Amino acid sequence: MAFCMSGIRSFPKLWESNPYAGLRPRHSYISLFLTNCVGIRNDHRWFSLKAMSAQNTKAMNPLIARGRHLWKANEGNKKQVPLESSHLFAAGAAEKRSQRNPPNKDRAMPPVKGTIQLPKQPLNLEEWDKLKEDFKGKTNFEIWISSQMAECHSSVDVAKSLLAWVAAKNNGIVGYGVLLKYLYLCVIHQQTSEVIDVYEIMKARYKRLETGGYSLLIRGLIHSDRWREALLLLENIKKVMIPSKKNYNDCIQGALLHQDVTTAWNLYQELLDQGVSPMLETLQAFFDFGKDVKDDHYSKKLLDILLYLRNNQLYPGESFAHSIKTWFESVPGKQWKGQFTTIQESGQCLGCGKAMESIHLSPDEYEFLKTKIMRDVIDGGDQYRKTTPQELQRFENFVKSRPPFDIVIDGLNVAKMFPKARESQVLLGVVSQLAKQNLRLLVLGRKHMLTQRSRWTKDEMEKIRKQASCFFADDISEDDPFLLYATLHSGNHCKFITKDLMRDHKACLPDAKTQRLFFKWQQGHQLAIMNRFPASKITFQRILSYDTVVQTTGDSWHIPYDEDLVKRYSYEVPTKWLCLHQKHKDT
Amino acid sequence: MSVFLKMSVSVTLRPFARFLVPFTLHRKRRNLCSTLLHRCMSSKIPAVPCPNKEGTSAPEQLELDGWKATMKSSVQEAISTGFSDKDEDPLVATRELIEMWRLLGREVPEHITEEELKTIIECPSKSSKKKYLKYLFIKENLKKARQIKKEMKAAAREEAKNVKLLETTEEDKPQNFLFLRLWNKNINSAMGWKGAQAMQFGQPLVFDMIYDNYMKPKELQNAVSQLLESEGCNRRNIDPFHIYFCNLKINGAYHRELVKRYGEKWDKLFLTATEKSYVDLFPKDDIIYLTADSPNVMTTFRHDKIYVVGSFIDKAMQPGTSLANAKRLKLATECLPLDKYLHWDAGTKNLTLDQMMRILLRLKNSGSWEEALKFVPRRKHSGYLQVSQQSRDFVNKVKKAKTFNSFPKGSLNVHKRDNLNEKI
Repeated sequence: MAFCMSGIRSFPKLWESNPYAGLRPRHSYISLFLTNCVGIRNDHRWFSLKAMSAQNTKAMNPLIARGRHLWKANEGNKKQVPLESSHLFAAGAAEKRSQRNPPNKDRAMPPVKGTIQLPKQPLNLEEWDKLKEDFKGKTNFEIWISSQMAECHSSVDVAKSLLAWVAAKNNGIVGYGVLLKYLYLCVIHQQTSEVIDVYEIMKARYKRLETGGYSLLIRGLIHSDRWREALLLLENIKKVMIPSKKNYNDCIQGALLHQDVTTAWNLYQELLDQGVSPMLETLQAFFDFGKDVKDDHYSKKLLDILLYLRNNQLYPGESFAHSIKTWFESVPGKQWKGQFTTIQESGQCLGCGKAMESIHLSPDEYEFLKTKIMRDVIDGGDQYRKTTPQELQRFENFVKSRPPFDIVIDGLNVAKMFPKARESQVLLGVVSQLAKQNLRLLVLGRKHMLTQRSRWTKDEMEKIRKQASCFFADDISEDDPFLLYATLHSGNHCKFITKDLMRDHKACLPDAKTQRLFFKWQQGHQLAIMNRFPASKITFQRILSYDTVVQTTGDSWHIPYDEDLVKRYSYEVPTKWLCLHQKHKDT
Repeated sequence: MSVFLKMSVSVTLRPFARFLVPFTLHRKRRNLCSTLLHRCMSSKIPAVPCPNKEGTSAPEQLELDGWKATMKSSVQEAISTGFSDKDEDPLVATRELIEMWRLLGREVPEHITEEELKTIIECPSKSSKKKYLKYLFIKENLKKARQIKKEMKAAAREEAKNVKLLETTEEDKPQNFLFLRLWNKNINSAMGWKGAQAMQFGQPLVFDMIYDNYMKPKELQNAVSQLLESEGCNRRNIDPFHIYFCNLKINGAYHRELVKRYGEKWDKLFLTATEKSYVDLFPKDDIIYLTADSPNVMTTFRHDKIYVVGSFIDKAMQPGTSLANAKRLKLATECLPLDKYLHWDAGTKNLTLDQMMRILLRLKNSGSWEEALKFVPRRKHSGYLQVSQQSRDFVNKVKKAKTFNSFPKGSLNVHKRDNLNEKI
């Protein structure tokens, strides 16, 4: 009897929830659900880009053109991309560097799996029986075919006919694995009423699910009227482990979808308290929702999100940047104006002309970084690991006895720049060119540079020692930590020359905050030589004078963001910016 | 209607549910026929992607959703509470979670003890939980496989016994033997004598046990297993080393684990375990610390030196720990000439302790690198490097002159060449 009732009850929902889920917020749904399917996602982003550009054609068109240009360049003739335009840590720079000497791309396509073609139409029992006979494989046929269907996003009907067949064969019981795959398909195709049916079944059959099942149910339920039950499911997950950021994302999206702002913010706070970094989609959802809320408290929270981005050096994606822009422009009375720009080399925004924050660390931060480098990178609890105490003492005395340097050179890194040229000659070339500019130089190296005759000639080393101060570490010591310390010791004006990205030393630092400080300092002080031939005049890669981070001056915001079509490595920073300022200042 | 009927019956008359199955099946068939008919008639209409909209026909709905009814109805046998009550033990919850993962075919163990459950709950992250579960899963599988093997062996033995009983019904003939069957015992005592001899006159080989703070419990256990293995190797060798366990803190983690594994045998081992450091026991100039990070390559095995092997398993990334140790004590360091002799492919150059032991033993007894480096795992290299013909000839000549003077010239050469080809 109970079933009868619930069955009937679920019919109206069939009418209610489907068009509801389908029509209104479909746009945002697709982008959320298909994140695992890269190809589709890119296409979709293209569409959204174009659709948005209709509103603001002037600002957007060059962007699209630029993006397209980049895309084409990446796809087709790779050598055309001008390397000179970017600095060492610009987004995509590593990609370009690797393209200069492309690796052999002999990736064979994975062999086509399975022998059975997945049915396009629902099959009846006999047809399934026949299909099963054709199947030859080690695993269980039902599980195999259901996971194949999940992979290819088969239609729900086909899956349903499979379940009917399984149930008919098996006393009306469908295994949990097959049921879960079916649930996945329902969620993918947004068949909310089906999700609720499966939810009822699972609730009845099993006392508790595993995390995968809960996650799918949460994602399916948030679009229905019973979205609050998704929160209960989240509680269930919490009993055994910390829910993933995706679970939180789904719940927050569900709460926002049903206008329950308080719950959404509470969940967000809980997520932060657990030390999980939220998905950018979650943050974007708050901004998207904010367009319709005219509430100071809500606005303040959104600004807090921006500060969170700043503190954790996160960068929004392209569509998120659009959301931020739209929200700012929707704030009544303030007349925010947003545009997508780049920053000039001098650190001025091309849009409004304001200067960005300097890349230089504050004195406190500088001292902090210096002691951290000394303690964690060079010493590291065991001075013998990277050097010896005697050597460290010798080095400290050496550094203290001289006035601050202007440039510290990683001798070995510079000398090995051109494999065909003689090492000492290359190093001498660099040192003498810099010495002509009246810079105080320090060359760091190892002792073997003084003894090896063929690659390191004595008279050239003599000449180097005349033009620069030199410090030679033991052959088994590491020279990079010395380089870092010497540069930091000399002061803020001092730069260092190496192509090494210093990622291993960054990894020695204890926490993410110090690592970000180090990275900021590195961006401002590292000179990388760009020359490709030994004889030419040395040129360095552009050094940033400004910090790439979300920043505000109260009446303006500057937000760097990642373009969808540019692949950025973790040690690179975006080059595109969203510039927001209040209009009344201009007029 | 029929669905409802079946449902209520199965709820109330659970024990008879099995008899109802044919009936439901039959009903389904009938539905199916009607849908088939329907499909034939409406085959021109393209398939509707979403069945829940208006266009879908009622019979198809019935056919496809039939299973839901049975799924929902067959519930009541176990639990009818639905999802979880509020205040529940995390232990129970975790156990149920693992049970569900098992249903999905994940790699989790079937049986799990209270203690293991607690360990799982204490794991800080989801991935560490999964890792630990996988470890338990593999352990359980191995145990099961061993059990099955044991049973099969027992069965085979039983059978053989029966056969034998049938065969040996005739009386046993007394036979003449020279020895009683006491081989193991004899071997053990012989090895004991040799071990005692090594304690007096053998070349020292030091295991540096100072690294117990750098290792996690798992790594430490692995290290002790490798120590056991290398000690066994040494014992069986024709000319064993005199093993020293230096820097071994009494009641430290290492000591406890060793005593646990050796049992009462620990006090009867022919080796020197000491809390002292090797620099206190031996002259500093004679000590050579073996570490893969060393810049110096070992060229020959010196019989007058004391080699130190760090008993350290480094699964976390802490490069240069042993080199730092040697630097601190100002000791000479050396590494094996792996790159000189082998085409290195993959894997670290850090070898396990027992591999080190075998290599050193072989070096000590034969002095040939090709022979000794046989103990480097085959997966790590793709073969021996071609040592230039000249130097090989030279080595052969020296060796021949030294030891095998009495051998006929040809046979040895052929043998040597064969051996090398095989390796290459």
